[in-house]
Amino acid sequence: MGRIYAYVRAQVGSSADAEDITAQVFVNAYQAYPRFEPRNTTPAAWLFRIARNATLDHFRASGRRDRLQRTIQHQPMAEEDPAGKAEERIQYRALLARVAQLPERQRDAISLRHSGLSFDEVGKLMDCSEDAAKMLYHRALKALREVVQREGV
Amino acid sequence: MSEQDEDLELQALQRELDDAFATTRPRRGYEDELWLTIQQQRPVTNRLWGSLAAFWQSVRQAPAMPAAAVAAVLVVAIGVGLFASGLHPGGGASHMSGSPALSEDTSRNGTTQFGPNSFGQLPQPGGAKSVSGPPPQAVSGTPEYYGPAQLVWSGSADISTNSAPVFRYQEPTSVQADQFAGSLGARLVDRQAGNLGYYSTPTYTLAVRGTVQAPPANPAYFIASVSIPPVNAAGASAQDIATIFLAEHNLLPQWKYTVSVDASGDPVRVHFDRIFTVPGYGNGDSYLVDASGARSGLEVDISGRRPVLVIGPLPVTLDTAYYRIVSPANAVQAAPSSPSGPTIRLTQAELVYVLVPAGDHSFYEPAYLMSGTLDIGGTQMVKHVLVPAIDPSQRAK
Repeated sequence: MGRIYAYVRAQVGSSADAEDITAQVFVNAYQAYPRFEPRNTTPAAWLFRIARNATLDHFRASGRRDRLQRTIQHQPMAEEDPAGKAEERIQYRALLARVAQLPERQRDAISLRHSGLSFDEVGKLMDCSEDAAKMLYHRALKALREVVQREGV
Repeated sequence: MSEQDEDLELQALQRELDDAFATTRPRRGYEDELWLTIQQQRPVTNRLWGSLAAFWQSVRQAPAMPAAAVAAVLVVAIGVGLFASGLHPGGGASHMSGSPALSEDTSRNGTTQFGPNSFGQLPQPGGAKSVSGPPPQAVSGTPEYYGPAQLVWSGSADISTNSAPVFRYQEPTSVQADQFAGSLGARLVDRQAGNLGYYSTPTYTLAVRGTVQAPPANPAYFIASVSIPPVNAAGASAQDIATIFLAEHNLLPQWKYTVSVDASGDPVRVHFDRIFTVPGYGNGDSYLVDASGARSGLEVDISGRRPVLVIGPLPVTLDTAYYRIVSPANAVQAAPSSPSGPTIRLTQAELVYVLVPAGDHSFYEPAYLMSGTLDIGGTQMVKHVLVPAIDPSQRAK
Protein backbone atom coordinates (compact mmCIF):
# COMPACT_ATOMS: atom_id res chain seq x y z
CA MET A 1 0.00 0.00 0.00
CA GLY A 2 2.85 2.35 0.86
CA ARG A 3 4.45 1.99 -2.55
CA ILE A 4 1.19 2.64 -4.33
CA TYR A 5 0.69 5.72 -2.20
CA ALA A 6 4.23 6.97 -2.95
CA TYR A 7 3.72 6.45 -6.68
CA VAL A 8 0.46 8.38 -6.64
CA ARG A 9 1.94 11.03 -4.40
CA ALA A 10 4.73 11.69 -6.92
CA GLN A 11 2.12 12.13 -9.63
CA VAL A 12 -0.21 14.55 -7.94
CA GLY A 13 2.06 16.43 -5.55
CA SER A 14 -0.61 16.70 -2.87
CA SER A 15 -1.08 14.36 0.07
CA ALA A 16 -4.84 14.80 0.21
CA ASP A 17 -5.24 13.94 -3.48
CA ALA A 18 -2.84 11.01 -3.08
CA GLU A 19 -4.92 9.62 -0.23
CA ASP A 20 -8.13 9.83 -2.23
CA ILE A 21 -6.60 8.19 -5.28
CA THR A 22 -4.91 5.44 -3.25
CA ALA A 23 -8.24 4.57 -1.67
CA GLN A 24 -9.80 4.43 -5.11
CA VAL A 25 -6.99 2.16 -6.32
CA PHE A 26 -7.70 -0.48 -3.70
CA VAL A 27 -11.45 -0.29 -4.18
CA ASN A 28 -10.90 -0.67 -7.92
CA ALA A 29 -8.46 -3.54 -7.33
CA TYR A 30 -11.04 -5.43 -5.35
CA GLN A 31 -13.69 -4.87 -7.96
CA ALA A 32 -11.35 -5.75 -10.84
CA TYR A 33 -9.94 -8.88 -9.27
CA PRO A 34 -12.22 -11.30 -11.17
CA ARG A 35 -10.63 -9.98 -14.36
CA PHE A 36 -7.08 -10.30 -13.10
CA GLU A 37 -5.08 -12.58 -15.36
CA PRO A 38 -1.78 -13.54 -13.69
CA ARG A 39 -0.40 -15.09 -16.85
CA ASN A 40 -0.30 -11.68 -18.47
CA THR A 41 1.11 -9.54 -15.71
CA THR A 42 2.64 -9.59 -12.28
CA PRO A 43 0.43 -8.67 -9.31
CA ALA A 44 2.58 -5.57 -8.72
CA ALA A 45 2.27 -4.40 -12.31
CA TRP A 46 -1.46 -5.07 -12.16
CA LEU A 47 -1.87 -2.86 -9.10
CA PHE A 48 0.30 -0.13 -10.59
CA ARG A 49 -1.76 -0.17 -13.79
CA ILE A 50 -4.86 0.42 -11.69
CA ALA A 51 -3.04 3.18 -9.83
CA ARG A 52 -1.93 4.79 -13.08
CA ASN A 53 -5.45 4.73 -14.49
CA ALA A 54 -6.88 6.12 -11.28
CA THR A 55 -4.36 8.95 -11.37
CA LEU A 56 -5.20 9.79 -14.98
CA ASP A 57 -8.90 9.75 -14.09
CA HIS A 58 -8.15 12.14 -11.26
CA PHE A 59 -6.38 14.56 -13.57
CA ARG A 60 -9.17 14.41 -16.07
CA ALA A 61 -11.79 15.01 -13.41
CA SER A 62 -10.09 17.78 -11.52
CA GLY A 63 -8.87 19.93 -14.31
CA ARG A 64 -5.61 19.09 -15.90
CA ARG A 65 -5.35 22.57 -17.36
CA ASP A 66 -4.87 24.22 -13.97
CA ARG A 67 -2.15 21.81 -13.03
CA LEU A 68 -0.36 22.27 -16.32
CA GLN A 69 -0.49 26.00 -15.81
CA ARG A 70 1.12 25.62 -12.41
CA THR A 71 3.77 23.40 -13.91
CA ILE A 72 4.58 25.91 -16.61
CA GLN A 73 4.87 28.65 -14.04
CA HIS A 74 7.04 26.39 -11.85
CA GLN A 75 4.88 26.98 -8.86
CA PRO A 76 5.11 24.36 -6.20
CA MET A 77 1.97 22.40 -5.50
CA ALA A 78 -0.09 23.59 -2.59
CA GLU A 79 0.89 21.62 0.48
CA GLU A 80 -0.85 23.37 3.31
CA ASP A 81 -3.51 20.77 3.91
CA PRO A 82 -3.51 19.00 7.30
CA ALA A 83 -2.76 15.63 5.74
CA GLY A 84 0.30 17.09 4.09
CA LYS A 85 1.54 18.57 7.33
CA ALA A 86 1.19 15.21 9.01
CA GLU A 87 3.13 13.38 6.35
CA GLU A 88 6.48 12.12 7.52
CA ARG A 89 9.78 12.47 5.71
CA ILE A 90 9.14 15.99 4.59
CA GLN A 91 12.65 16.33 3.23
CA TYR A 92 11.69 14.36 0.16
CA ARG A 93 8.51 16.22 -0.61
CA ALA A 94 10.33 18.84 -2.62
CA LEU A 95 12.03 16.24 -4.77
CA LEU A 96 8.71 14.51 -5.47
CA ALA A 97 7.23 17.89 -6.31
CA ARG A 98 9.96 18.31 -8.91
CA VAL A 99 9.08 14.89 -10.30
CA ALA A 100 5.49 16.03 -10.54
CA GLN A 101 6.62 18.95 -12.72
CA LEU A 102 8.03 16.67 -15.42
CA PRO A 103 6.09 15.91 -18.60
CA GLU A 104 3.60 13.13 -18.07
CA ARG A 105 5.51 10.22 -19.60
CA GLN A 106 8.80 11.17 -17.97
CA ARG A 107 7.06 11.54 -14.63
CA ASP A 108 5.46 8.15 -15.09
CA ALA A 109 8.72 6.47 -16.03
CA ILE A 110 10.51 7.75 -12.95
CA SER A 111 7.64 7.04 -10.60
CA LEU A 112 7.05 3.51 -11.81
CA ARG A 113 10.73 2.65 -11.89
CA HIS A 114 11.40 3.94 -8.39
CA SER A 115 8.29 2.19 -7.13
CA GLY A 116 10.19 -1.02 -7.74
CA LEU A 117 9.00 -2.10 -11.16
CA SER A 118 11.39 -3.56 -13.73
CA PHE A 119 11.92 -1.77 -17.03
CA ASP A 120 10.02 -4.57 -18.69
CA GLU A 121 7.02 -3.88 -16.44
CA VAL A 122 7.37 -0.12 -16.90
CA GLY A 123 7.40 -0.61 -20.68
CA LYS A 124 4.30 -2.78 -20.61
CA LEU A 125 2.45 -0.27 -18.46
CA MET A 126 3.44 2.57 -20.75
CA ASP A 127 2.81 0.64 -23.96
CA CYS A 128 6.40 0.68 -25.13
CA SER A 129 9.33 -1.71 -25.29
CA GLU A 130 11.69 -2.37 -22.41
CA ASP A 131 14.48 -0.51 -24.26
CA ALA A 132 12.20 2.45 -24.92
CA ALA A 133 11.28 2.51 -21.23
CA LYS A 134 14.96 2.60 -20.31
CA MET A 135 15.63 5.48 -22.70
CA LEU A 136 12.60 7.36 -21.49
CA TYR A 137 13.65 6.84 -17.88
CA HIS A 138 17.18 8.09 -18.47
CA ARG A 139 15.92 11.13 -20.36
CA ALA A 140 13.55 11.81 -17.49
CA LEU A 141 16.37 11.46 -14.99
CA LYS A 142 18.46 14.01 -16.86
CA ALA A 143 15.51 16.35 -17.14
CA LEU A 144 14.90 16.03 -13.41
CA ARG A 145 18.54 16.75 -12.66
CA GLU A 146 18.33 19.92 -14.71
CA VAL A 147 15.23 21.03 -12.84
CA VAL A 148 16.89 20.32 -9.51
CA GLN A 149 20.06 22.15 -10.51
CA ARG A 150 18.07 25.12 -11.75
CA GLU A 151 15.54 25.39 -8.98
CA GLY A 152 16.94 23.38 -6.11
CA VAL A 153 15.13 20.86 -3.99
CA MET B 1 31.24 18.49 -16.60
CA SER B 2 32.91 15.18 -17.44
CA GLU B 3 30.89 12.13 -18.35
CA GLN B 4 32.04 10.49 -15.14
CA ASP B 5 30.87 13.43 -13.01
CA GLU B 6 27.55 13.39 -14.81
CA ASP B 7 27.14 9.68 -14.12
CA LEU B 8 27.92 10.22 -10.45
CA GLU B 9 25.36 13.02 -10.25
CA LEU B 10 22.71 10.88 -11.86
CA GLN B 11 23.50 7.99 -9.54
CA ALA B 12 23.18 10.31 -6.55
CA LEU B 13 19.85 11.53 -7.86
CA GLN B 14 18.67 7.95 -8.29
CA ARG B 15 19.57 7.21 -4.68
CA GLU B 16 17.64 10.26 -3.54
CA LEU B 17 14.66 9.14 -5.58
CA ASP B 18 14.90 5.66 -4.07
CA ASP B 19 14.87 7.22 -0.62
CA ALA B 20 12.04 9.57 -1.51
CA PHE B 21 9.82 6.79 -2.83
CA ALA B 22 10.79 4.39 -0.05
CA THR B 23 9.96 6.84 2.71
CA THR B 24 6.90 8.59 1.35
CA ARG B 25 4.04 7.06 3.24
CA PRO B 26 0.60 8.29 4.24
CA ARG B 27 -0.08 9.84 7.60
CA ARG B 28 -0.95 7.73 10.62
CA GLY B 29 -4.53 6.64 10.70
CA TYR B 30 -4.88 6.68 6.93
CA GLU B 31 -4.89 2.90 6.67
CA ASP B 32 -7.77 2.67 9.12
CA GLU B 33 -9.74 5.20 7.11
CA LEU B 34 -8.96 3.33 3.90
CA TRP B 35 -10.11 0.09 5.46
CA LEU B 36 -13.39 1.74 6.38
CA THR B 37 -13.69 3.08 2.85
CA ILE B 38 -13.26 -0.38 1.40
CA GLN B 39 -15.69 -1.83 3.92
CA GLN B 40 -18.34 0.48 2.54
CA GLN B 41 -18.18 -1.65 -0.60
CA ARG B 42 -19.00 -4.68 1.53
CA PRO B 43 -20.44 -7.54 -0.48
CA VAL B 44 -22.87 -10.21 0.62
CA THR B 45 -20.54 -12.67 2.27
CA ASN B 46 -18.80 -12.08 5.55
CA ARG B 47 -16.28 -14.84 4.99
CA LEU B 48 -14.73 -13.04 2.06
CA TRP B 49 -14.27 -9.98 4.17
CA GLY B 50 -12.72 -12.05 6.90
CA SER B 51 -10.02 -12.98 4.42
CA LEU B 52 -9.67 -9.44 3.20
CA ALA B 53 -9.37 -8.29 6.77
CA ALA B 54 -6.55 -10.79 7.23
CA PHE B 55 -4.88 -9.31 4.17
CA TRP B 56 -5.29 -5.84 5.51
CA GLN B 57 -3.87 -6.87 8.84
CA SER B 58 -0.85 -8.36 7.10
CA VAL B 59 -0.26 -5.11 5.23
CA ARG B 60 -0.46 -3.13 8.43
CA GLN B 61 1.94 -5.40 10.25
CA ALA B 62 4.48 -5.43 7.45
CA PRO B 63 4.65 -1.96 5.97
CA ALA B 64 7.95 -2.70 4.27
CA MET B 65 6.59 -5.75 2.46
CA PRO B 66 7.44 -5.58 -1.25
CA ALA B 67 4.50 -4.55 -3.37
CA ALA B 68 4.62 -7.80 -5.27
CA ALA B 69 4.25 -9.71 -2.04
CA VAL B 70 1.50 -7.38 -0.86
CA ALA B 71 -0.30 -7.85 -4.13
CA ALA B 72 0.16 -11.59 -3.87
CA VAL B 73 -1.36 -11.61 -0.41
CA LEU B 74 -4.21 -9.47 -1.69
CA VAL B 75 -4.89 -11.87 -4.52
CA VAL B 76 -4.58 -14.92 -2.32
CA ALA B 77 -6.78 -13.41 0.37
CA ILE B 78 -9.46 -12.46 -2.10
CA GLY B 79 -9.14 -15.75 -3.96
CA VAL B 80 -9.42 -17.82 -0.82
CA GLY B 81 -12.33 -15.75 0.33
CA LEU B 82 -14.17 -16.24 -2.91
CA PHE B 83 -13.45 -19.96 -2.86
CA ALA B 84 -14.66 -20.28 0.71
CA SER B 85 -17.79 -18.33 -0.05
CA GLY B 86 -18.65 -20.61 -2.92
CA LEU B 87 -18.49 -17.81 -5.46
CA HIS B 88 -16.57 -18.34 -8.66
CA PRO B 89 -13.72 -15.89 -9.01
CA GLY B 90 -14.08 -15.57 -12.74
CA GLY B 91 -11.13 -17.72 -13.56
CA GLY B 92 -8.61 -15.93 -11.41
CA ALA B 93 -8.20 -18.64 -8.84
CA SER B 94 -7.50 -21.28 -11.41
CA HIS B 95 -4.48 -19.30 -12.56
CA MET B 96 -3.03 -18.63 -9.17
CA SER B 97 -0.51 -21.43 -9.34
CA GLY B 98 0.71 -20.08 -12.65
CA SER B 99 2.17 -17.01 -11.02
CA PRO B 100 5.54 -17.54 -9.40
CA ALA B 101 4.89 -14.79 -6.88
CA LEU B 102 1.79 -16.59 -5.70
CA SER B 103 3.07 -20.12 -5.52
CA GLU B 104 4.50 -19.86 -2.02
CA ASP B 105 4.61 -16.95 0.33
CA THR B 106 5.28 -17.68 3.93
CA SER B 107 7.00 -15.62 6.54
CA ARG B 108 9.64 -17.45 8.51
CA ASN B 109 12.25 -15.93 10.72
CA GLY B 110 11.70 -12.54 9.20
CA THR B 111 12.19 -13.72 5.64
CA THR B 112 9.61 -13.98 2.91
CA GLN B 113 9.78 -17.20 0.97
CA PHE B 114 8.85 -17.28 -2.69
CA GLY B 115 8.46 -20.13 -5.15
CA PRO B 116 11.37 -21.71 -7.03
CA ASN B 117 13.33 -19.36 -9.27
CA SER B 118 11.10 -16.45 -8.26
CA PHE B 119 13.93 -13.95 -8.44
CA GLY B 120 14.26 -14.64 -12.16
CA GLN B 121 17.68 -15.19 -13.64
CA LEU B 122 20.43 -14.60 -11.15
CA PRO B 123 23.27 -12.19 -11.83
CA GLN B 124 26.66 -13.46 -12.85
CA PRO B 125 28.91 -13.82 -9.82
CA GLY B 126 32.50 -12.70 -9.76
CA GLY B 127 33.42 -16.13 -11.11
CA ALA B 128 35.08 -19.16 -9.70
CA LYS B 129 38.37 -18.37 -8.10
CA SER B 130 41.21 -19.75 -6.16
CA VAL B 131 40.97 -18.22 -2.75
CA SER B 132 43.75 -15.86 -1.80
CA GLY B 133 44.95 -18.11 0.97
CA PRO B 134 43.78 -20.91 3.17
CA PRO B 135 40.56 -19.86 4.90
CA PRO B 136 41.33 -19.26 8.58
CA GLN B 137 39.02 -22.07 9.62
CA ALA B 138 41.04 -24.46 7.40
CA VAL B 139 44.56 -23.54 8.48
CA SER B 140 46.40 -26.73 9.27
CA GLY B 141 50.00 -25.75 8.79
CA THR B 142 49.99 -27.12 5.26
CA PRO B 143 51.17 -24.47 2.79
CA GLU B 144 48.73 -23.21 0.19
CA TYR B 145 49.42 -23.87 -3.47
CA TYR B 146 48.90 -20.78 -5.64
CA GLY B 147 50.25 -21.99 -8.97
CA PRO B 148 48.39 -23.09 -12.08
CA ALA B 149 46.59 -26.41 -11.84
CA GLN B 150 44.11 -28.70 -13.48
CA LEU B 151 41.34 -29.33 -11.02
CA VAL B 152 39.22 -32.47 -10.90
CA TRP B 153 36.70 -33.57 -8.35
CA SER B 154 37.19 -37.01 -6.85
CA GLY B 155 35.52 -36.78 -3.49
CA SER B 156 32.04 -37.29 -2.14
CA ALA B 157 29.92 -34.54 -0.67
CA ASP B 158 27.17 -34.90 1.89
CA ILE B 159 24.53 -33.34 -0.35
CA SER B 160 21.22 -35.04 -1.04
CA THR B 161 19.40 -32.15 -2.67
CA ASN B 162 19.52 -30.58 -6.08
CA SER B 163 18.23 -27.20 -4.97
CA ALA B 164 19.19 -24.68 -2.32
CA PRO B 165 17.80 -21.38 -1.09
CA VAL B 166 19.01 -18.10 -2.55
CA PHE B 167 18.50 -15.04 -0.39
CA ARG B 168 17.86 -11.58 -1.78
CA TYR B 169 17.91 -8.20 -0.10
CA GLN B 170 17.25 -4.71 -1.28
CA GLU B 171 20.11 -2.27 -1.03
CA PRO B 172 19.62 -0.27 2.18
CA THR B 173 19.15 3.46 1.97
CA SER B 174 20.52 6.25 4.09
CA VAL B 175 17.09 6.43 5.72
CA GLN B 176 17.40 2.83 6.86
CA ALA B 177 20.90 3.58 8.10
CA ASP B 178 19.52 6.52 10.06
CA GLN B 179 16.80 4.32 11.53
CA PHE B 180 19.38 1.73 12.55
CA ALA B 181 21.59 4.41 14.09
CA GLY B 182 18.57 5.92 15.80
CA SER B 183 17.77 2.58 17.40
CA LEU B 184 21.21 2.76 19.00
CA GLY B 185 20.69 6.32 20.12
CA ALA B 186 23.32 7.60 17.70
CA ARG B 187 23.22 11.04 16.12
CA LEU B 188 24.05 11.75 12.48
CA VAL B 189 27.36 13.55 12.07
CA ASP B 190 28.09 13.37 8.41
CA ARG B 191 27.50 11.58 5.14
CA GLN B 192 30.51 10.99 2.97
CA ALA B 193 30.92 9.23 -0.33
CA GLY B 194 30.96 5.49 0.15
CA ASN B 195 29.05 5.51 3.41
CA LEU B 196 25.39 5.79 4.26
CA GLY B 197 26.24 7.80 7.35
CA TYR B 198 28.56 8.54 10.22
CA TYR B 199 27.01 8.81 13.67
CA SER B 200 28.08 9.38 17.21
CA THR B 201 27.03 8.52 20.72
CA PRO B 202 28.68 9.62 23.96
CA THR B 203 30.80 6.46 24.01
CA TYR B 204 31.40 5.37 20.43
CA THR B 205 31.25 6.33 16.79
CA LEU B 206 29.21 4.44 14.28
CA ALA B 207 29.61 4.16 10.52
CA VAL B 208 27.11 2.46 8.21
CA ARG B 209 27.85 1.53 4.63
CA GLY B 210 25.99 -0.28 1.88
CA THR B 211 27.02 -3.23 -0.24
CA VAL B 212 30.56 -3.16 -1.61
CA GLN B 213 30.88 -4.48 -5.14
CA ALA B 214 34.48 -5.65 -5.09
CA PRO B 215 35.57 -7.52 -3.18
CA PRO B 216 31.96 -8.30 -2.33
CA ALA B 217 30.89 -7.23 1.14
CA ASN B 218 27.40 -6.97 2.59
CA PRO B 219 25.93 -3.78 4.08
CA ALA B 220 27.59 -3.32 7.43
CA TYR B 221 27.89 -1.20 10.50
CA PHE B 222 31.11 -0.39 12.29
CA ILE B 223 31.29 0.61 15.94
CA ALA B 224 34.63 1.98 17.01
CA SER B 225 35.46 3.26 20.44
CA VAL B 226 38.11 4.06 22.90
CA SER B 227 35.65 5.12 25.56
CA ILE B 228 33.22 2.27 25.96
CA PRO B 229 33.53 1.40 29.65
CA PRO B 230 34.91 -2.03 30.56
CA VAL B 231 32.34 -4.74 31.10
CA ASN B 232 32.29 -5.55 34.79
CA ALA B 233 31.37 -9.20 34.95
CA ALA B 234 33.53 -11.35 37.15
CA GLY B 235 35.15 -14.19 35.27
CA ALA B 236 33.65 -13.12 31.96
CA SER B 237 35.47 -14.41 28.89
CA ALA B 238 35.97 -12.36 25.73
CA GLN B 239 32.98 -14.16 24.26
CA ASP B 240 30.90 -13.26 27.32
CA ILE B 241 31.94 -9.60 27.08
CA ALA B 242 31.10 -9.50 23.39
CA THR B 243 27.73 -11.12 24.02
CA ILE B 244 26.92 -8.76 26.89
CA PHE B 245 27.78 -5.70 24.78
CA LEU B 246 25.72 -6.91 21.83
CA ALA B 247 22.77 -7.80 24.04
CA GLU B 248 22.86 -4.41 25.75
CA HIS B 249 22.59 -2.74 22.35
CA ASN B 250 20.08 -5.20 20.83
CA LEU B 251 22.72 -6.23 18.32
CA LEU B 252 22.84 -9.96 19.03
CA PRO B 253 22.42 -11.70 15.67
CA GLN B 254 18.90 -12.72 14.82
CA TRP B 255 20.36 -15.28 12.41
CA LYS B 256 21.85 -18.68 13.22
CA TYR B 257 25.54 -18.65 14.09
CA THR B 258 28.42 -20.35 15.80
CA VAL B 259 31.01 -18.51 17.85
CA SER B 260 34.74 -18.79 17.42
CA VAL B 261 37.39 -16.86 19.35
CA ASP B 262 40.81 -15.86 18.08
CA ALA B 263 42.84 -15.16 21.20
CA SER B 264 46.19 -15.23 19.48
CA GLY B 265 46.75 -11.50 19.95
CA ASP B 266 45.38 -8.30 21.37
CA PRO B 267 42.61 -7.52 20.68
CA VAL B 268 40.91 -10.85 21.07
CA ARG B 269 38.54 -11.37 18.18
CA VAL B 270 35.14 -12.94 18.79
CA HIS B 271 33.49 -14.12 15.59
CA PHE B 272 29.80 -14.86 15.22
CA ASP B 273 29.90 -16.90 12.01
CA ARG B 274 26.68 -16.70 10.08
CA ILE B 275 24.89 -19.90 9.06
CA PHE B 276 22.26 -20.38 6.39
CA THR B 277 20.13 -23.48 6.65
CA VAL B 278 20.10 -25.75 3.60
CA PRO B 279 17.79 -28.75 3.82
CA GLY B 280 19.48 -31.80 2.32
CA TYR B 281 23.03 -30.70 3.05
CA GLY B 282 24.82 -32.39 5.95
CA ASN B 283 23.26 -31.16 9.18
CA GLY B 284 21.78 -28.23 7.27
CA ASP B 285 24.39 -25.68 8.29
CA SER B 286 26.04 -23.72 5.51
CA TYR B 287 28.40 -20.90 6.49
CA LEU B 288 28.60 -17.50 4.88
CA VAL B 289 32.13 -16.90 3.60
CA ASP B 290 33.87 -13.88 2.14
CA ALA B 291 35.83 -13.71 -1.08
CA SER B 292 38.81 -15.35 0.60
CA GLY B 293 36.70 -18.26 1.79
CA ALA B 294 36.85 -17.09 5.41
CA ARG B 295 33.68 -17.47 7.43
CA SER B 296 31.86 -14.20 7.82
CA GLY B 297 29.27 -12.68 10.07
CA LEU B 298 29.76 -10.38 13.01
CA GLU B 299 33.05 -9.62 14.74
CA VAL B 300 33.69 -8.05 18.12
CA ASP B 301 37.23 -7.12 19.09
CA ILE B 302 37.87 -7.09 22.82
CA SER B 303 40.79 -5.38 24.49
CA GLY B 304 41.14 -4.65 28.20
CA ARG B 305 37.68 -6.10 28.86
CA ARG B 306 36.20 -3.50 26.53
CA PRO B 307 34.78 -3.84 23.03
CA VAL B 308 36.98 -1.67 20.82
CA LEU B 309 35.56 -2.56 17.42
CA VAL B 310 32.36 -4.18 16.25
CA ILE B 311 31.76 -5.03 12.60
CA GLY B 312 28.38 -6.50 11.82
CA PRO B 313 25.92 -6.85 8.97
CA LEU B 314 23.31 -4.11 8.73
CA PRO B 315 19.96 -5.83 9.34
CA VAL B 316 18.12 -6.26 6.06
CA THR B 317 15.02 -8.18 5.11
CA LEU B 318 15.81 -11.34 3.16
CA ASP B 319 13.54 -12.86 0.56
CA THR B 320 14.08 -16.54 -0.18
CA ALA B 321 13.67 -18.60 -3.33
CA TYR B 322 15.04 -22.02 -4.20
CA TYR B 323 17.29 -22.55 -7.21
CA ARG B 324 18.82 -25.67 -8.74
CA ILE B 325 22.40 -26.40 -7.80
CA VAL B 326 24.93 -28.55 -9.60
CA SER B 327 27.11 -31.25 -8.12
CA PRO B 328 30.68 -30.50 -7.03
CA ALA B 329 31.90 -32.47 -10.06
CA ASN B 330 30.04 -30.13 -12.41
CA ALA B 331 30.79 -27.03 -10.39
CA VAL B 332 34.53 -27.57 -10.51
CA GLN B 333 34.44 -27.24 -14.28
CA ALA B 334 33.91 -23.51 -13.74
CA ALA B 335 37.10 -23.25 -11.72
CA PRO B 336 40.20 -21.72 -13.30
CA SER B 337 42.21 -24.53 -14.80
CA SER B 338 45.54 -24.54 -16.57
CA PRO B 339 46.90 -27.49 -18.54
CA SER B 340 50.42 -26.38 -17.70
CA GLY B 341 49.92 -27.09 -14.01
CA PRO B 342 49.72 -30.29 -12.03
CA THR B 343 46.46 -32.14 -11.66
CA ILE B 344 44.94 -31.60 -8.24
CA ARG B 345 42.25 -33.91 -7.03
CA LEU B 346 39.78 -31.97 -4.94
CA THR B 347 38.38 -34.31 -2.35
CA GLN B 348 36.46 -32.04 -0.01
CA ALA B 349 33.57 -29.73 -0.79
CA GLU B 350 31.78 -27.59 1.77
CA LEU B 351 28.55 -25.93 0.71
CA VAL B 352 28.90 -22.28 1.71
CA TYR B 353 27.18 -19.01 0.92
CA VAL B 354 28.75 -16.06 -0.87
CA LEU B 355 27.53 -12.57 -1.57
CA VAL B 356 26.79 -11.62 -5.17
CA PRO B 357 26.23 -7.85 -5.40
CA ALA B 358 23.84 -6.77 -8.12
CA GLY B 359 22.91 -3.11 -7.79
CA ASP B 360 19.50 -2.46 -6.28
CA HIS B 361 19.26 -6.03 -5.03
CA SER B 362 22.04 -8.36 -3.99
CA PHE B 363 22.04 -12.06 -3.31
CA TYR B 364 23.47 -14.62 -0.93
CA GLU B 365 23.85 -17.73 -3.02
CA PRO B 366 25.35 -21.19 -2.51
CA ALA B 367 28.89 -22.05 -3.58
CA TYR B 368 31.35 -24.83 -3.00
CA LEU B 369 34.52 -24.25 -1.02
CA MET B 370 36.62 -27.13 -2.32
CA SER B 371 40.03 -28.34 -1.35
CA GLY B 372 42.56 -30.98 -2.24
CA THR B 373 46.20 -31.72 -1.62
CA LEU B 374 49.17 -32.22 -3.89
CA ASP B 375 52.83 -33.05 -3.55
CA ILE B 376 55.35 -30.58 -4.95
CA GLY B 377 58.93 -31.76 -4.71
CA GLY B 378 58.20 -33.83 -1.64
CA THR B 379 56.27 -31.04 0.07
CA GLN B 380 52.62 -31.58 0.83
CA MET B 381 50.52 -28.56 -0.23
CA VAL B 382 46.84 -27.75 -0.24
CA LYS B 383 44.66 -25.99 -2.80
CA HIS B 384 41.42 -24.16 -1.99
CA VAL B 385 38.98 -22.97 -4.59
CA LEU B 386 35.57 -21.27 -4.35
CA VAL B 387 33.13 -22.13 -7.15
CA PRO B 388 29.47 -21.19 -7.67
CA ALA B 389 26.98 -23.98 -6.99
CA ILE B 390 24.04 -22.45 -8.84
CA ASP B 391 23.12 -24.22 -12.08
CA PRO B 392 24.52 -21.84 -14.74
CA SER B 393 21.35 -22.14 -16.84
CA GLN B 394 19.63 -19.96 -14.22
CA ARG B 395 22.01 -17.08 -14.78
CA ALA B 396 21.43 -13.95 -16.78
CA LYS B 397 23.53 -14.08 -19.94
